[in-house]
Amino acid sequence: MTGTQQLSDDVGLRRYEYDDETVLAADLGPSRDASVDVLDDAVIVVVDDEQYDLELAGDAQAFIRNGVLTIEVDA
Amino acid sequence: MRLTVKPLKQKDAGRGLAAIDRAAMSELDLENGDYIVIEGRDSRAVARVWPGYPEDEGRGVIRIDGRLRQEADVGIDDNVDVEKADVKPATRVSVALPQNLRVRGNVGPMIRNNLSGQAITEGQTVPVSFGLGPLSSMSGQKIPLKVAETDPSGTVVVTDSTEVDVAEKPAEQIQEGAAGAADGTAPDITYEDIGGLDDELEQVREMIELPMRHPELFETLGIEPPKGVLLHGPPGTGKTLMAKAVANEIDAYFTDISGPEIMSKYYGESEEQLREVFDEAEENSPAIVFIDEIDSIAPKRGETQGDVERRVVAQLLSLMDGLEERGQVIVIGATNRVDAIDPALRRGGRFDREIEIGVPDKNGRKEILQVHTRGMPLVEDIDLDQYAESTHGFVGADLESLAKESAMNALRRIRPELDLESDQIDAEVLEHLEVTEQDFKQALKGIEPSALREVFVEVPDVTWDQVGGLEETKERLRETIQWPLDYPEVFEAMDMDAAKGVLMYGPPGTGKTLLAKAIANEAQSNFISIKGPELLNKFVGESEKGVREVFEKARSNAPTVVFFDEIDSIAGERGGQSTDSGVGERVVSQLLTELDGLEELEDVVVIATTNRPDLIDSALLRPGRLDRHVHVPVPDEEGRRKILEVHTRDKPLADDVDLDELAERTDGYVGADIEAVTREASMAATREFIASVSPEEIGDSVRNVKVTMDHFEHALDEVRASVDEEVKERYEEIEERFGPGETEIEEKEVGRTFH
Repeated sequence: MTGTQQLSDDVGLRRYEYDDETVLAADLGPSRDASVDVLDDAVIVVVDDEQYDLELAGDAQAFIRNGVLTIEVDA
Repeated sequence: MRLTVKPLKQKDAGRGLAAIDRAAMSELDLENGDYIVIEGRDSRAVARVWPGYPEDEGRGVIRIDGRLRQEADVGIDDNVDVEKADVKPATRVSVALPQNLRVRGNVGPMIRNNLSGQAITEGQTVPVSFGLGPLSSMSGQKIPLKVAETDPSGTVVVTDSTEVDVAEKPAEQIQEGAAGAADGTAPDITYEDIGGLDDELEQVREMIELPMRHPELFETLGIEPPKGVLLHGPPGTGKTLMAKAVANEIDAYFTDISGPEIMSKYYGESEEQLREVFDEAEENSPAIVFIDEIDSIAPKRGETQGDVERRVVAQLLSLMDGLEERGQVIVIGATNRVDAIDPALRRGGRFDREIEIGVPDKNGRKEILQVHTRGMPLVEDIDLDQYAESTHGFVGADLESLAKESAMNALRRIRPELDLESDQIDAEVLEHLEVTEQDFKQALKGIEPSALREVFVEVPDVTWDQVGGLEETKERLRETIQWPLDYPEVFEAMDMDAAKGVLMYGPPGTGKTLLAKAIANEAQSNFISIKGPELLNKFVGESEKGVREVFEKARSNAPTVVFFDEIDSIAGERGGQSTDSGVGERVVSQLLTELDGLEELEDVVVIATTNRPDLIDSALLRPGRLDRHVHVPVPDEEGRRKILEVHTRDKPLADDVDLDELAERTDGYVGADIEAVTREASMAATREFIASVSPEEIGDSVRNVKVTMDHFEHALDEVRASVDEEVKERYEEIEERFGPGETEIEEKEVGRTFH
C-alpha cells in the first residue's frame, strides 16, 4: 500500500486535476496537530503521531491551514 | 465578491467546507483552509475554503453543503457574497442542550471534539452527532445544540484548547443571538443526503426548481412550465427522499397525498379531498404536491373494479391539466409500478417527464454509504469502498439498513454496560461507542438486497487465479466481458459494440461454470444465474414470461452478467419433432428477441455454457446474440500442471510429490477429474492418519500429516479420466466449425448421436 492510498483511506485525500497543476487536498480537522514537509520527490505529512509519505513527480508546494492540507504539484 | 451557490459532493459534506473555484479564490486572495463569511439573503455562515472542483474553474461558483446553505439561508443557484473572515480562536464556549436530552457526566470534551474546527457564532444552532445516544434511534441523527455564549464574542472557532461548558438553561429558552445566525434546526433533507443519483437529481431540479424560481424564463420562451414529474423505480431507491429534498431545498410549500388516506366511503368525498389538497397548495404557491404510491389512486381506469377509483383518476386528470389554471403548483408522483398507472396521466401537461430512479452502481452505493455513516463513529480501518463493492443489488434502503444494523450491533456490545433503569446514560459510555468492521460484516450477512431478491445469487468469490490453466480462454473472456465495462471509451472510439453474449462449450468438467463464476466476480457486475429447467412452467406463456423477467431484471440492474448454465436444455434446435406443445420453441424465440430485439440490451452480457453446442438453435449462435464461441478444451499437460497447483495450493504435500509427473500421467483428465484426484489423495492420507493415531493425540499430531506420492498413486487408480481420445476429437471438430467468433454455421449436421 502506498502512502497516497493510506492517506486517502485515513483522512480522505482528494485529487483535483487542473490545467496547469494537480492539487491534492485533505481535511485533517482544524484541531489536529499536523505538519507537512516537502522534500525533493516526496511529501511527508505528520498528523498527530502518524506519519504519511507521499511520492511525487514534479515540483510541489504544500501547506496546512486550519486543518486543510494542500499539496500543489506542477504538471 | 458574488458567487453562485452549487451543491457540494457528498463525500465532502458535513465538514463546514466551501469549494470555491480557483479564479474566484485568487481574486479574493484566499488559500485553502482560510475562513470565509458567506452572506446570504439575511443571514451568514462561516466556512473553510476547499479547493474548487476543476470543472468549476472561472464560473464563479461556491459549493457548500446543505447545512451551510440552511445557515446562510440560500438555495442552489442563488448568489451570495463571499469575503475573507477574521475568526478568532475561542477561549470559552457555552452551549445549551435541548431539554429532552438526558446525559449524565461531563459532555464538554465530547462536544468539543464534535465542534472542534467549526466556526460558531452566539445564538447559532449547531447539529452535533452524539454517536448512538438514546435520542438517536436512527443512525446519523443529530442533536441540535445552541451556542449560548462565546468568549471572545463574534464569530469564533473552537479549538482543542477551548473550554466547553454546558449552560444551565435548556436550548429552548435561549433567544436568537443578534449575530443573525440562521434560525430553526438543521435542515431535514438536503441534496447531500442523496447519494448516487446526481443525474436524476439534476433532471428533477431542472423540471421543478427552474420554473419555480424563474418562471420568466419560460415566458420568454413562450412555453408553459412543466407541471409534473413522475419518479419511478424499484422500491427503496430514493424516490420519496428526492421529492422531500427538492421541497426542502427550494423552500416551497410541500403537501403530500397518500393514496388510502383520501379514500372515503361517501360518494364524492374522495374527489373532494383531492381538490382540497390542490386548493391548499395553490393558496400557498409556489407549492409541491407529492403523491406517493400514485398507482394506488390512479390505476388504469379500464382495469379497476371500483367506481371510486375511476372518479378519482378523472379528478386527478382534470386537476393536473384542467381548464383552471393551476398556477405554481407542481406535482411529483412516485411509484414502483409505472405500468399500472392510467395512461392518460402519463402525457405532457400532466406528468411531463418520467424519471427512472435505478438501482445504484458501485459508486452510487459508496456515496449512499457515506451519507448514512456520516454521523457514525466508525473505527478507522473500515473501508467503505469494499462494502460498496460487495453490495451488488443493494438499493439505498438496503444500504441504510446495513448501516443501521451495524450500529445496532455496536449498541448490542455495550448493552451490558448500560443501566436501563436509570434516566441518564453515562457520557463516557457514549464516547466509547464505535462501530467496528465486525459489526458491518455481521450486518451484511443479515441483509438481502431487495432489487434482486427473486433472482439474486451471491457474487461468487472465485478469482482468476483459482482457475488453473486455460490462459487463452481466460484472456478471450476478459476481452469480451471485462473490457467493454472497464474501457467503454475505447470501444466508443473504435465504433465497436460490445459482444452481447458468450457461449462456452467443452466436455463436462473442464471448468466452464468455474470460469463464469470468476468472470462474474472480476467484472464486478451483478450476477444472475439461470438454471435452464427452472424457467419452465406448466402454464402456457409462463415459461416465456420467465425469460422476459430475467432480462428485465438484468436491464434494470445493469451492468449485469446473465449466466445460463446448460443452455441446451432450454435452447434446443427449433423445428424438430416437438413433444412439448412448442414451449421449447417459444422459449428459444423469446431468448432470441431478448438478446437481439428492438429493445437495446445495455451493459448486459449473457454467458451460456453447454457441452452440446451442436444441439443449440443456430439462430442463437449468430453474431449479435451469443456471438463469441469459446472452446474450453480438455487441459493439456501444462494446463493440468496449473490445475494441480491450484488444488494442492493449501494441501500439506510431502516432498516426494512431483506435480510435473502427475501432470504427465493424467492425460485425458479434465479439471474436475484432477480435483477428484487431489481430493482422493488427501482422503487416503487422512484415512491412514486417523487409523494410525489414537483419538486423543489427533489434535497434536495433525500438523505432521503429509500427502505423499503413494497417496496420489492410489488416487490415480481410483479416478479415471472422463474424456477419451474420441470425445476430445469430436470437440475439436466442433471447434473447427464454431471457431472463435466465427460466424458461418452451415446447416446443422453433426449427429445427435455422440454422448
